[in-house]
Amino acid sequence: MEPLAVQEPLLARIAAGDRVAMRECLTRYSGLVWSIARRFELGDAEDAVQEIFLDLWKSAARYDGNVASESVFIAMIARRRLIDRRRMRGRRPVTESIADEPQVAAAGSSPEASAEASQAARALDRLKPDQRRVLVLSACHGMSHGEIAEATGLPLGTVKAHVRRGLISIRAALLGVQEEPA
Amino acid sequence: MKTHVMMHPRAEELLVERALRPLSDAEQAELASLGVDADADDSFDVAAAAVMVATTRVEPMPADMLDRLAERTGLVAPDFRRTLAGVAPPIATASQPAAPTPAPVIPIDRARKGRRVSAAWVAAAAAAGIVLATGAGMYLRRDAGTPTTPTATPAEARAELLGGGTRALAWTATADATAKGATGDVVWSDAKQRGYMRFVGLAANDPKAWQYQLWIFDRTRDEAFPVDGGVFDVSSTGEVIVPISAKLHVDQATLFAVTVERPGGVVVSKRERIVVTAKPS
Repeated sequence: MEPLAVQEPLLARIAAGDRVAMRECLTRYSGLVWSIARRFELGDAEDAVQEIFLDLWKSAARYDGNVASESVFIAMIARRRLIDRRRMRGRRPVTESIADEPQVAAAGSSPEASAEASQAARALDRLKPDQRRVLVLSACHGMSHGEIAEATGLPLGTVKAHVRRGLISIRAALLGVQEEPA
Repeated sequence: MKTHVMMHPRAEELLVERALRPLSDAEQAELASLGVDADADDSFDVAAAAVMVATTRVEPMPADMLDRLAERTGLVAPDFRRTLAGVAPPIATASQPAAPTPAPVIPIDRARKGRRVSAAWVAAAAAAGIVLATGAGMYLRRDAGTPTTPTATPAEARAELLGGGTRALAWTATADATAKGATGDVVWSDAKQRGYMRFVGLAANDPKAWQYQLWIFDRTRDEAFPVDGGVFDVSSTGEVIVPISAKLHVDQATLFAVTVERPGGVVVSKRERIVVTAKPS
């Protein structure tokens, strides 16, 4: 899967205080941020999106194109904010249905796509179904290990192992390194 | 970013956890003791974010929501709404001029970040005809670290904080009509991340028309973006005690300000109606 029409980078301009770039960023990435926020919190997704873009405005200078694409960096900022909101509110997540197997989006087919997302999608496909499901519940829905164990019926230790090994596998794929045996 | 390809299993475990939730102080110390500069290695966060992008079915944000986003955050050029109205806004080009009009937030010199108490807010309050408190009405007690009883009323919980030595900072009212004759104080503990506002004589509000919102300035954060301390209502001009609901961690509070905002509050205040302020001496 070949990603990516080349898009002009925005975050360096945003870091320099360019509000036109921020407008373009909202236009380009609002769908991604909105969709991510809805995975964490359906009820307050609008407020979450606003906080995420404010965080992005403040954090853009930290962006390093050698480490991640803009879309993944933005997703990282979004996840941190959503996790922080969850922690501050101390309440159980409200998420979309978790009964189904997580679907891997068609990375590379949209403006939000990135090389890492394509690599992550391929690495996810290589995971066992239970491991993939648990990793997605943890990384994409912000569920704690205990909540995942309760929701899936898997033992807590298995959940922890799935999350850990799954994320290590994704990281190894992104870094292009051979994964150590479990 | 310094990425550790090979690492201690426990360090790896902690970095995985850090990508999924905030680490405790003990866990951060443990990570440091293992020789890992956690702040310099975001590789697990990047991996989690890549999983997020790969598994998120992207849907467009509703147009009216984008409209509100532009209005509330003040982060975009004023022609944003017109841009949104277009089906396919043009992709950026390097030759595009910068936004000609500043955002509606009060300009802040970002170079002063974290060094001074919110000058713009102080200036705004001063413009409203008030003099900020310089310590009058404040008192100190030694913090005894008494835990709050879970079932305590706001008044009891506030008394516990005060009993533990947390400072009470007197409100200074502005010339805003809601604050005429208003008094009270704010009690906030950075250590406990808890606090309470007390008001006497603050005008009651109609929650369907407008609400009060608290802002907490944190020395470690950009003063252009104070922490949202929560939206609240006042139903009586008698004594009212309101728990503070800080949406983010406050490392060191330097100023508290209450504004009048639309129902539900805002993410960034335009600071058009500042009601009361309180600051440490």
